[in-house]
Amino acid sequence: MNFDPSILTTHAGEIGDAFLVTVKTWLLGSALGLIVGLALALLIRSLGRWARLPLLALSELIRGTPFLVICFILYYGGPSIGIDLNAIFAGIVCIGFYSSVYFAEIFRSGFNAVPRGQLEAAECLGLGRWQLLVRIELPQMLVIILPALTNLLTVLCKETAILSIITVPELTAVLGGIGTRTFSFAETLVALCLAYLLLVELTARVGNWLERRVGGYLN
Amino acid sequence: MSQSPTTPQARFPAIRLDQVGKRFGDHQVLEGIDLEVAHSEVVCLIGPSGSGKSTLLRCMAFLEHYDQGEIYIEGALIGWEIDDQGRRRRASNRRLRQSRSNLGMVFQQFNLWPHMTALGNVSEALKRVKGLSRLDAERRGRQALERVGLLDKADAHPARLSGGQQQRVAIARALAMEPKIMLFDEPTSALDPELVGEVLAVMKRLASEGMTMVVVTHEMGFAARMADTLVFLDHGRIIARGAPAQVFGEEAPPRVRQFLQDYLERNALLIDANTEAPGAMPSSISAGDGAAAATKGMF
Repeated sequence: MNFDPSILTTHAGEIGDAFLVTVKTWLLGSALGLIVGLALALLIRSLGRWARLPLLALSELIRGTPFLVICFILYYGGPSIGIDLNAIFAGIVCIGFYSSVYFAEIFRSGFNAVPRGQLEAAECLGLGRWQLLVRIELPQMLVIILPALTNLLTVLCKETAILSIITVPELTAVLGGIGTRTFSFAETLVALCLAYLLLVELTARVGNWLERRVGGYLN
Repeated sequence: MSQSPTTPQARFPAIRLDQVGKRFGDHQVLEGIDLEVAHSEVVCLIGPSGSGKSTLLRCMAFLEHYDQGEIYIEGALIGWEIDDQGRRRRASNRRLRQSRSNLGMVFQQFNLWPHMTALGNVSEALKRVKGLSRLDAERRGRQALERVGLLDKADAHPARLSGGQQQRVAIARALAMEPKIMLFDEPTSALDPELVGEVLAVMKRLASEGMTMVVVTHEMGFAARMADTLVFLDHGRIIARGAPAQVFGEEAPPRVRQFLQDYLERNALLIDANTEAPGAMPSSISAGDGAAAATKGMF
């Protein structure tokens, strides 16, 4: 067996681009999911017990569907109803759509964790709904839900690998391609693992650092 | 009842309750409550737990939605609007906020915002609701903290404060908004016994400054000393009301007498007959007899 890392350096430009595509689809997709998820959680909260049922059902449906299937539906099903996305944009939408329901679930549990009395105090002092959310609820929720958010982000980072199936030129697709072309499977797969490990580890560190920073007032 | 010089003849009482009722499902928690609170009056709501006194207080701030009768704060119906057909529907948020701006609410669990410092808690609504600049809000926030004796804790987060200090910050937070009326919902019930005094002392000073106050309390000593009017609730109804000497006096209904007797027996171990801690029952008060004489001397 010959292990020849130089295969990576000769394709460095290609791999670098793929790394950026992975980071881009991951972070933009997650940002989209975060925003839609927060909106979804707020909407569900503001609706009545019956009016929220369709949204809860939809959320269950999405959470019950494998990510790969969601990608197929959005990317290959899109053109049949007149939506034609370029692969990278489609990848971002897939990640965002898929993660939004998980983000919504995290936000829902976060809202429940802020004691009701604190909101009553704010209401009595005349703070409006928006001020309540931005000044009282979100800052406190953040401390509580940060571990869950970090966890979801690392999962999503690895889920971007699935996007290779819908032709997104990200790490798994590109390194896999190089491996097949040059028969350097070991080198490319090791590099692939290291790249994801790097991203996941980085996310966990940033998460830990944030937890310590924003949770400082609790002790 | 003492009259504040600042509100010599208000056209309406600070609070007026007219046949207020509230039910949770099948359970009628409040029924037919009539009550008036004059400006500068201190009213203490007492009674056994489950009697509805906290619910009644929360109705006054519309934290609970009373479903019968009317509650007027400074002359304005709070929480509801009555339309042409006499049907009630929820008042707009703006109108509710307006009514509540007359009220300062203090909770049993303090309900401070743990992610803000004491000063942050006190100045938040000054900034966001009154629209004061950060500088002005903090100046007034500090004044409010000074009133409760906690200026030196301005930069401390709630987790760093004792229960008594947290409650005093909560009082300062309400006071900073300059309410006309202060509502206290069992303000000392969550406190260790040795921390009760500092909170009661702050409330006592407020009362002596002419603040209109409604206090739900289990501190009978405080109620006997500070209240202009005692209101005793049982099973959602007012069963006795009047000056402390009267409610705790010889004419007290048997239910009140029993309640007081139980209270005194429970607290017998805590109270040294020779000390006059702010929260303690005057040593000479006992259920049914001598209360009139004892409370008379207090004022």
